[in-house]
Formats: sequence, C-alpha cells, structure tokens
Amino acid sequence: MKVFIDPPNSLILFDLVERFGHEPLSTMAALQERIDNIEVDMPPMNVTLDDVVKGLKYAGIEVPSGVRGRLAVWGPLIEEADAAIIVDDPPFSFGCVGCERSELMVKYLVKRRNIPALRLPYPGNEEEGKAFVGKIKEFLEGLQ
Amino acid sequence: MTIKIAQLSCGTEYSSVQYEIDKAARSVGAKVVYPDVSAADIEIAVERFGFRPRSNQLKLMIARAVQLADGNYAADAVFITTCFRCAEAALVRNEVRRFIQENTNLPVVTYSFTERLKASQLLTRMEALVTIVTRKELLARERQAGITAGLDSGSSTTKAVIMQDNKIIGKAWTPSHNVVESATAVLNEALAQAGLEYKDIDAMGTTGYGRFTLGEHFKDKVKLVQEELTVNSKGAVWLADRQRGEATIIDIGGMDNKAITVRDGIPDNFTMGGVCAGASGRFLEMTSRRLKIDVTQLGALADKGDWRNAKMNSYCSVFGIQDLVTTLGDGKSFEDVAAAACHSVAEQVYEQQLQEIDVRHPIIQVGGTSLISGLVTAIGDVLGEKPIVPENSQFIGAVGGALLSSGFL
Amino acid sequence: MSEERETRLLMISPSSRLTPEMLARTIHSMGEDVALKETCYGCLIEGRREVVRRITDNLRETQGNSVFSKRRAYRLGDPVRCRAQHGTRPGFSQLEDEWQALPYIEAGLDAIDNGEGYKEIPVKQRLPVDKLIEICEVKR
Repeated sequence: MKVFIDPPNSLILFDLVERFGHEPLSTMAALQERIDNIEVDMPPMNVTLDDVVKGLKYAGIEVPSGVRGRLAVWGPLIEEADAAIIVDDPPFSFGCVGCERSELMVKYLVKRRNIPALRLPYPGNEEEGKAFVGKIKEFLEGLQ
Repeated sequence: MTIKIAQLSCGTEYSSVQYEIDKAARSVGAKVVYPDVSAADIEIAVERFGFRPRSNQLKLMIARAVQLADGNYAADAVFITTCFRCAEAALVRNEVRRFIQENTNLPVVTYSFTERLKASQLLTRMEALVTIVTRKELLARERQAGITAGLDSGSSTTKAVIMQDNKIIGKAWTPSHNVVESATAVLNEALAQAGLEYKDIDAMGTTGYGRFTLGEHFKDKVKLVQEELTVNSKGAVWLADRQRGEATIIDIGGMDNKAITVRDGIPDNFTMGGVCAGASGRFLEMTSRRLKIDVTQLGALADKGDWRNAKMNSYCSVFGIQDLVTTLGDGKSFEDVAAAACHSVAEQVYEQQLQEIDVRHPIIQVGGTSLISGLVTAIGDVLGEKPIVPENSQFIGAVGGALLSSGFL
Repeated sequence: MSEERETRLLMISPSSRLTPEMLARTIHSMGEDVALKETCYGCLIEGRREVVRRITDNLRETQGNSVFSKRRAYRLGDPVRCRAQHGTRPGFSQLEDEWQALPYIEAGLDAIDNGEGYKEIPVKQRLPVDKLIEICEVKR
C-alpha cells in the first residue's frame, strides 16, 4: 500500500515503511519527477510558477507562496495515499518541511482524507525507539 | 572576482523564485551562497538570538546569520528574503537584518517576494550590493573634478547636470518619453547653460531605468553606468553637504521609492519599494490632475490644508483616487484633499519602506517629489522630524553620476 | 527516465562498526550495475530502480539493522545539491539529526528480531489547574 510519510523527506520513515513491505510516498520522489523533466529548467527543484498556482487548490491567494508551493508538492501525495504515518515535533524537519504553517495544513489534509493514520512522537532514547518501531510495524502490518 | 551574497531565506525554492534570485545575482557578477550550519549550531544559535520561531527554516535562517556574525563563514553581502504575507517570517526577517547590521559590516538588503518575482525586479538591488562591495573606493569620492556630466533616466523625468570643479554649472530636466531623445535634450540644455559643448565633457555617468541604453548611446563619454541606489545616495550627501557621519535618504520616485541609510556617504542598507503606485510620486500626479492643478502647485495647496479633515489611505493608486473622488464629493476643500494625498503617500512610505531600515539622522529628502512641500511636511509629521531638502534635490541622480564619473579621470 | 533511475542515500547508524568503505566494498562485491559514491555517512548509489532495490534488500538481509536508506531526488554529483558549490542546503542538518537517532531505530528493529515487545511510553500530562492551586495553597 502507498503510505504518506510526514515529515515527507524523512530517512527513518522512508526506510521503515519500505522495510515493512509498503511503498513510502515521499518528497524525494515528487521532486525527482520535476528534476528529471528536462523541459523545465528552474533549478534547484524545478518547482515552477504553475506549481505554486496549483497550490491554490489547497490554500487561498492570501496564503504565502511558500506554503502553496509546498502544498502543491505534498497535496497530490496525500491524495494518492492509502495510509499515513505522522511524526509529531521531529527535530529534523528542516528544508522541505521548514514551514510550520504548511506542516499544520499537511496534518489537516491527512485527517480530511479519512485514511488509516498513525501519529507518534519522535523517539528520544532506546526505549522510545523500540515503541516507535514496534508501533509502526503493527500499523503497517495491519493495513489491508 | 565573484562577489558572494549570503542568502538567508525561507520559502524561495517552493515559491519558484530561487532560480530568479540566482539569475539576478549572476547577471551582476555575484553568486548566492548559504552559510554552512550544522544541526548542533542551530539550537545554540536560536537560543543566543533569543527569538524562537515555530518554523524550522526560520531557525536555520537565524543560525546562518549567527555564522556570518561570528565570522565563521565569509561572504561579501547579505540578502534576506521571505514570503510576502508571512507574519512569522516578516518578524524574523527584520530582526535578522538588525542582527547582521549590529554584528557585521556587510551590506544588507531585505525583500519579501511573491511567486511572481522576476530576476529583473531584484537586479537594481543586487547591483547595488555588488557596487557597495566592489566600488568602495569610488563611493568614498567626495569632490567632483574636471568637467563631467550626469544623466538620470527615471521613470517619470529625465535629468542632466554638468559639473566643473565641484560645482553645478548646468542642469535641466524633462518628462521622460524616448530614453535617448529625452536625455539628449536635457544634456544639450545643461551644456548650453554651462556654455560648453559635448566635446568638452571629460566623463559621463548614467543612472536610472534607462542607464544601460544611455551608457551605450553615449559610450564615447560614459565611464560609469550604475544603479540609482548608490548613485543617488552619493548625490544626496553631496548636495546636502553631509559627506561625513550618518544619514537616511528618502527618495520618493515616480514608480518606486528608496530609503537608504549611509555612513560617511557610503550606503550600507537600503529598501526599494513600489509594488503599488499608491505610495509613489505617480499618485500625487494623479491627484493633481483630478484637482486640475499642476503637480508643482500641489505642495503649496497641501500646506494650507489639514489631512485630518479628509481621510485618505490606500495601498493602491486606483483605490486612492476612489477615496479622493469620494472625499471631494463630500464637499471637502481642495486644500484638505491635497494635504491628505501627501499624508497618504508619507504613511505608505513609512509603513512599507522605513520599517525595514533603522532610520538614522538627519533625514535627507530628495528626488522630484521633494519639491512638493506638502509631502516634505507630511514625511516630517509621520517621522517626527522635518527632513532636510537640499537645493537641486531633484537632480541627485545626475549629480551622483557626474560626481562619481569624475573618479575615472 | 524517472521511472527508471533511482538514486539512493545509504546511511550507517553511528552505533555500527561498519565504515563507509566497508559498505562500499560490500556493494561492489554484489557485482551489480550501479554507480557508487562513498560519503562521510555511508554511500550514494545510482542505477536502474530494480537493481537499486535488490541492493537495499540485500543490505537489509546481510547488514543487520545498521544501514538505512531513502531515495534522493537529485542525481549523483548534481552540482545543485553539492555542498562545495554554495554551502549546506537545508536538508543537511535534517540528515545530521536523523543520523543521531538511528541507534534508537536500530534498537527497535533488533528488539523485533529478538521477539521482544515494547513498553507503552506514557504521554506527559500537564498538571490540572486545581491541582496546582492545591499545591500553592499547601505551600502558603
């Protein structure tokens, strides 16, 4: 099944979803499609004005462009997803998920999709790591 | 030598504008760089900075600023930019700008972008950053020498000045139409006043929107083609005789406004606004037309009125004129309406430009609009300090061009 | 092309004794047709999707739970992504942070392999206001 991960560029979540037999939906894949599209030359990410305009589907014109551009990349992933894993307050959400407002919207969009979703805290020690991995495994195995 | 412009930003890549920023930098011989930061640096930096934003990219922006302040990363200038309409980023952007200025000597420019940003909009700002870095010696020039000319091809008017031995000996202006024709006309007029001919000119400097076209057209004489931010600030401190110490220069132009802070005549921070014509000289022109007076009469009229009697405040010239029509329909006096129009422009400049720099004293108001006394009064009211308006204040760009080009003799 | 190409970042958990060089040698010895670049945290590999998948599956089988991986949007050696070109990009500090957490994830995976369960981690609750008032009154 296709599992949306949040933060959508997380190494840990990407790896675990794949390890437990599902397909992670990530920022990297969404961006690779843009980067490999040789008709567009807008480095570094080939996120174009068209993308930002498409973001209007998720947020109005009064919302900053950076939020709409981010949602244009993640929105379709959330729409495609069969399930989602969301890590709350990760310390590592720089760059791709550096905007708090976009993050709030992503969590809300997942909620609106009404798909199976697991929310869990970021682990800070071994015990928490065991619970983190254990819960993710149970969740992924439970997906039909 | 490639100038390294450190970019401190949030949202540029997802707004599709990073490419435009890189392009603008490249076209002025600069390169955008990101100060190196490790994960551990970020927490420490945010703690030390004292402002803890929720968005992590803004934390990263702070950490990068700290790297620059501590001299751990070498850059020549700083470009701070975030999404337009983001309150969190706007707070951080301004405080990071202040932090950089308090802790480094790097020239800084801030900008809030929309997804429609094009490289051309950043060009003047990027060019000014590079000029400040690469032409420090030229910008330090305080006296004009030889016979030089300055041409300022602005969006509303074209100005020419002839200078000799640190004095203005000829000057002329005309409303802008064809760039080359307007400039040729004012240049000839200024030369006639000076009793000189074109061949007598030793060097020429061009600035304003038409600077490149004029630089090419008069290439046998032109030694300097430079953006209006640095050229105007030189012209302003020369005209106001404030070459030493600090000052803030306010130039309300026909299309965009500039606020520049200088130290010993060299600019170190500037803002350039003009998304909306409501805060520009163009709005005052439109007001004059509606009042059926010449724009040169607007200032005196405004001085006789009271802006409080005719509330007018709009970001946009279209809505501004609507306000004006309504106000006139209510039977308000022309004087009050003129005063309100001036006050509205002053407020816009205060709200949009002066929030992004630390205003230093004295304030020198220049440009064609500084001849509208009502506007100078309004700026004084809004800032609580009457600006200095030097003689020939409308010729700053041309004077700056003539002064700086003499540095090439 | 995007259907075909896959670039992957392989990261070694800091608690592992595996070195990037050993990891690179292991991958080379699989004899697969991939481009490989050794890095400070592990390796980057690039090749056809099914080949890259075979390698990651193999590593999960043979290297215990100490090597983690994710896809990368950019090609190997893409100057846009290169730190030397213009300084670190935002994702750099994220990777550093995730790298530090890998031993906890490794411990979690090992626990599953060993058939261990996990303890529920109690969520930290805030003190109810009336409780706080009570405490304040006692202290008064």
